[in-house]
Amino acid sequence: MSTGKRIQERDVVIQTIAKLMIPFIQLYGLYVMVGTEGAGGGFQGGTVLAASFILLVVAFGVDKGRMKMPEGWNAVFKSLGLYLYAGVGGLLCIIFSLGKAEYLNYSAIPLAKIIGGPATRGFWVGNVVEVGIGVTVMAAFVSIFYDLVRKEESVKEGGAEE
Amino acid sequence: MKLHLLPTVALLSVILLGAMFMYVVEDIPAFGDSNSPPNKYIELPISIDADGLAGSLDAGVVPAELKTKIEEIGYTKENNFPALEEGKYEIESNDEEGGWDVLILKEEKYYPGPEKWYFIKEDLGGKLKVYRYSIPVRWQEKTEEETGLPNMVTSGLADYRGYDTMYEETVIFTAAISVIMLLRRREKL
Repeated sequence: MSTGKRIQERDVVIQTIAKLMIPFIQLYGLYVMVGTEGAGGGFQGGTVLAASFILLVVAFGVDKGRMKMPEGWNAVFKSLGLYLYAGVGGLLCIIFSLGKAEYLNYSAIPLAKIIGGPATRGFWVGNVVEVGIGVTVMAAFVSIFYDLVRKEESVKEGGAEE
Repeated sequence: MKLHLLPTVALLSVILLGAMFMYVVEDIPAFGDSNSPPNKYIELPISIDADGLAGSLDAGVVPAELKTKIEEIGYTKENNFPALEEGKYEIESNDEEGGWDVLILKEEKYYPGPEKWYFIKEDLGGKLKVYRYSIPVRWQEKTEEETGLPNMVTSGLADYRGYDTMYEETVIFTAAISVIMLLRRREKL
């Protein structure tokens, strides 16, 4: 019982440092995720963003974390990322190629008539596909982390009741 | 009547995603061919005496003996390699490496045009050696022209291997859904 109480008291140092660091971690995650000229990509950027939320939960507790990043939004983000990749890009290419089945072939988007095929591919891959991957990875990791935290808490409560 | 928004949206999403993946299975190109170009080695086991053939190469014609030798290895149109037909290829002298580049015209919808395919060189013993350009070299040289991305890794990940990355993302999505179903014993999603 006493150990549980000691975990509940949060450290001011950890909270202040986390408050300072979380915005910069998220900015860095976005830098890694969006754009193609730097290092990294969707998977790495999504992991860095998820790490920022995990730091939030470690510093402020799972309730504050669930307030900032609700689980409903988590589920929405998870699906939205996959749709940005498989759904939006694929549907656009299917529709605008007039039934010729150019799935994931971004040169079929009408934007290609204005700025050219390769530039369209570059734009779409760098700013839509990578963001989709990153959003899915972030939401999946945060959701798995929330579930594991809840499992541990419920076990602890059960132990305390006994 | 209470509208259950989230379950309805989730059900619609699952149905749409299932339809999408069935479509993809119909559309996905064939793979797993052991004779496909990426699995071939770079130096070809060809050596012919070079006398007389160099002039023909300088004039822009692949000699008939070399052509038959290349076709004997299996680089024919039946095996999905571009054929060395008359008028369908160009020869450029490669001064840096001391040889000739053979460029074959591709018949593709979005990137038609000549592409470097073979490299022919006369070695010290007076024999002609034939090399095929490997995929990494081609990847480095053509990635910015074809995909508009300055980063070779990103173009490989999300453009050339787009199907692969899409299903990797699906695996992560499925893992998260499985953890939710296993660990989250609640009525709400």
